[in-house]
Amino acid sequence: MFRAELNDLLNWTASSPRFDQAGASAGAESLAQERERVGERSARRRLTPRKSLVVVLPDNHVVSPELVAERLPSTGDDETVDVIVACAGQPINLGVLQRRVHDLQVLLAPSGTSVEKLRELAIMQAPGDIVTLLSGAPRQCDDA
Amino acid sequence: MMSRALALSVIVPVRNSGSFLTEVLEAIRASELPSNTYEIIVVDDGSTDASVSVAARYADTIVRLSGPGAGPAYARNRGVELAHGEIVAFIDSDVVVRPSTLPRMLDMLGERPEIAAVSASHNEISGASNFVSQYWNLLLRFGEQRHAGRCAHFVPGCGAIRRNVLVAAGMYDEWRFEIACLENVELGQRLLGAGHGVLLSSELMVTHLKRWNLVSVCQEVWRRSRLLARSLGYLRMSSAVPSEVVFTLSRALTPAIAILATLTLAAAFLPSPHAIAKGSIALSALILSNLPVHRFYARMRGLGFAIVSAPVHIFVQIISAVALCTGWILRDVFGDLTPDATTQAYSEVGLEIWPPVRRRV
Repeated sequence: MFRAELNDLLNWTASSPRFDQAGASAGAESLAQERERVGERSARRRLTPRKSLVVVLPDNHVVSPELVAERLPSTGDDETVDVIVACAGQPINLGVLQRRVHDLQVLLAPSGTSVEKLRELAIMQAPGDIVTLLSGAPRQCDDA
Repeated sequence: MMSRALALSVIVPVRNSGSFLTEVLEAIRASELPSNTYEIIVVDDGSTDASVSVAARYADTIVRLSGPGAGPAYARNRGVELAHGEIVAFIDSDVVVRPSTLPRMLDMLGERPEIAAVSASHNEISGASNFVSQYWNLLLRFGEQRHAGRCAHFVPGCGAIRRNVLVAAGMYDEWRFEIACLENVELGQRLLGAGHGVLLSSELMVTHLKRWNLVSVCQEVWRRSRLLARSLGYLRMSSAVPSEVVFTLSRALTPAIAILATLTLAAAFLPSPHAIAKGSIALSALILSNLPVHRFYARMRGLGFAIVSAPVHIFVQIISAVALCTGWILRDVFGDLTPDATTQAYSEVGLEIWPPVRRRV
């Protein structure tokens, strides 16, 4: 940091637009060239963030399909969301969820895997720039 | 996607903070708030360590920004764009809140509609026990105590703000503040300019875990002071902002005194019959000009700590004075900070891409 600042100070005469007209026009050219390059590069870059939804289901936990659907884009939206369900042991209501959400990715971890570990595993698999994590709730007796 | 209304969104910008993050996020989760009333959004600014994995254990949303790091101002703004809470709280990735901190902030904003933002101050005890960490932590605490109440400074580390006010104010200045430094000061001043109250509470205290050494403190002081002079203008800020918080000089006149003292001290080494007298006068002037700080150190940690901290403080002040002068020269010669040509070009073309181009306020 110190060295960079010192270099800035020592080199200011060479690059300052106030004192060096040639430097100024070179700077403008560089900005113009940069603008052209930006145009080219932008075609290759993604325009919107990729989104993922991670549903975490430890043993004997369930998630309501409505709650998951709430976090997904409505039918008219162009936006897509990758949905990943991370379960410990055998998931309980996965069929219901699969009917509501197409292209569901399921991560199966051994029974007894903690919520924290499931979340860690799922985030590694989630491709999104924005990842929403949703934890299931303990299964009530009448769900059984 | 349905929008969910929440009372609070806690935004934690992170960059290679794996070592502190568990404690920081656990403390947020231990807040005395019902879990369905708030969300935690972690914005990872290109970490190369295990920060994202740690964040995944506690966060409701994780934003992954690629690249070399765009800075906390940029990261916080990305978090605000996804926030569902009426109030947004920013907590740094080395700051541990108490269980009552966030609820108290919500209460304060609820009770006082004229206040748009409230920040917590440094705890008297730093997370790291080494001398320099304690010196720096107490120095910031001293400044915050002296200027507690309504001020123009939204303190970095832990602060809560009404989301609609923040959005209307243009959010953080990510255009100029790529490095973590004075973006909160600048935001505070904009809020004040728009007629909103900003409260710095001395009763709300948070613990900073970062371990400082003399080199890192000097670098921080250098960055703060240089940026203060270059981007914000010292004279404009000194009237509104607690100077200890912005940089380490404890009085508005101290930069001048520090420069004079440095020159006098240098002169004292020239062969002269009065060299010792000159040096003593210069040192005494410096110590006297900072007497409130030294008394504060003595009260908090004892006389020994105050005596040891005095030369460190003088050294830090000299760094600050030189950095201020550098900032003024840079401002005069190059003008205010601007992003690199690529960022400027992207911004001019106005492309919507991900991650977004840094925005002008």
